[in-house]
Amino acid sequence: MTVHVLETEGQVCPFPLVEAKRAIAGIPSGDQLRIDFDCTQATDSLPRWAADEGYPVTAFDRTGDASWTITVQKP
Amino acid sequence: MILTGLALGTVLGFALQRGRFCVTGAFRDVWLAKQTRWLTAFLVTIAVQAIGIFALDALGVIQLGADTFPWLGAIVGGLVFGFAIVYAGGCATGTYYRAGEGLIGSWIALAGYALAAAIMKHGPGAPLVESLRGVTAPVGTVHELLGVSPWALVALLVAGVGAAAWHHLRKDAARPKPVQLPARRTGIARILFERPWNAFATAVVIGVIGIAAFPLSYAAGRESGLGITTPSADIVAFLVTGDAELVDWGVMLVLGILLGSFIAAKGSGEFRIRVPDAQTVLRSTGGGLLMGVGAAIAGGCTIGNAMVGSASFTLQGWTAFAAMLLGTGIAVRVVFGRRGSRAAPAPTPVGV
Repeated sequence: MTVHVLETEGQVCPFPLVEAKRAIAGIPSGDQLRIDFDCTQATDSLPRWAADEGYPVTAFDRTGDASWTITVQKP
Repeated sequence: MILTGLALGTVLGFALQRGRFCVTGAFRDVWLAKQTRWLTAFLVTIAVQAIGIFALDALGVIQLGADTFPWLGAIVGGLVFGFAIVYAGGCATGTYYRAGEGLIGSWIALAGYALAAAIMKHGPGAPLVESLRGVTAPVGTVHELLGVSPWALVALLVAGVGAAAWHHLRKDAARPKPVQLPARRTGIARILFERPWNAFATAVVIGVIGIAAFPLSYAAGRESGLGITTPSADIVAFLVTGDAELVDWGVMLVLGILLGSFIAAKGSGEFRIRVPDAQTVLRSTGGGLLMGVGAAIAGGCTIGNAMVGSASFTLQGWTAFAAMLLGTGIAVRVVFGRRGSRAAPAPTPVGV
């Protein structure tokens, strides 16, 4: 299993979500996508997107002040 | 008395930051994600506010209404403003609260917005704004136009928005709950600085703040509710003229938003000075300046017009609201349409 890393730090919303949607489309089923982000709103929009799409979230945590990481699996 | 503006602004900034309440995001989602969840939340703030302010109006505490409808300004300004907020990465309040979170891109957008609003209201742009806003229809409000009681409109709005909110709450309940960040705190600190706020609860809180704004602002001699554009222009005008008369309740309100969102962000570990890249700097500058121009022509931003104006059922408020939504749609096509055709930056695969 492979984890693909998408670095979106410095990008304001909605770009982290836009990039995440595009990135997950390009990875094989079963692989995971890790999105590192620092847009506060994405703490709401990314997990909601994962829930809506039915992607399991394997990790979601803070990595420092105003920086977060979320990992979703492509089913 | 103007200090109540600072207090209310602080509460507003806190709620905006913790609730992630972004009107730009709400408008943008309609076009980009084909989702109306946040737009519905925005409509909830309008409905809540409408009930409260028409009650205050009936009690004689405040006077609502508009004599005329500057339709050309509402349409042109609304389109420009709606277009600009996508580039600026936030509308007026969104930009204030993100500035409080430490986003330098928002500081730039905010400076551009306040400067452009001052130029258009107090400076060489004033004749253009006056001529556009001079094109009016003689009826100012929806209830006057239809010849009905404003309460009929309030009832209709509450019923429609209530049904839409109910639909979204049921949809939320039916799907798996989004994953939350691990809890680090307990008790009051968790509630204030950690637990995610529900979008509709946030909307109700902001609606109530919008109601409270009217009597507090009236008591300080400023006869209106929440407003962002005029106070922002007044800050610039005060800084260059020294005219202390310009520092009113509204100026305190917008300064409070900065303070409140800073407190919320700092308290929840979400404050960090974030430096944008060159493209974001250009977007924020252009978007901010255009936002000030649009808001001055429209007679208000997403708050003064689309929220407070709509809640008081002015024709200007609802028309500007529609024009802003449309302007956002145009910008989404330009920004994301083109971006979509460009090769996507692939994520980096790493083994586990």
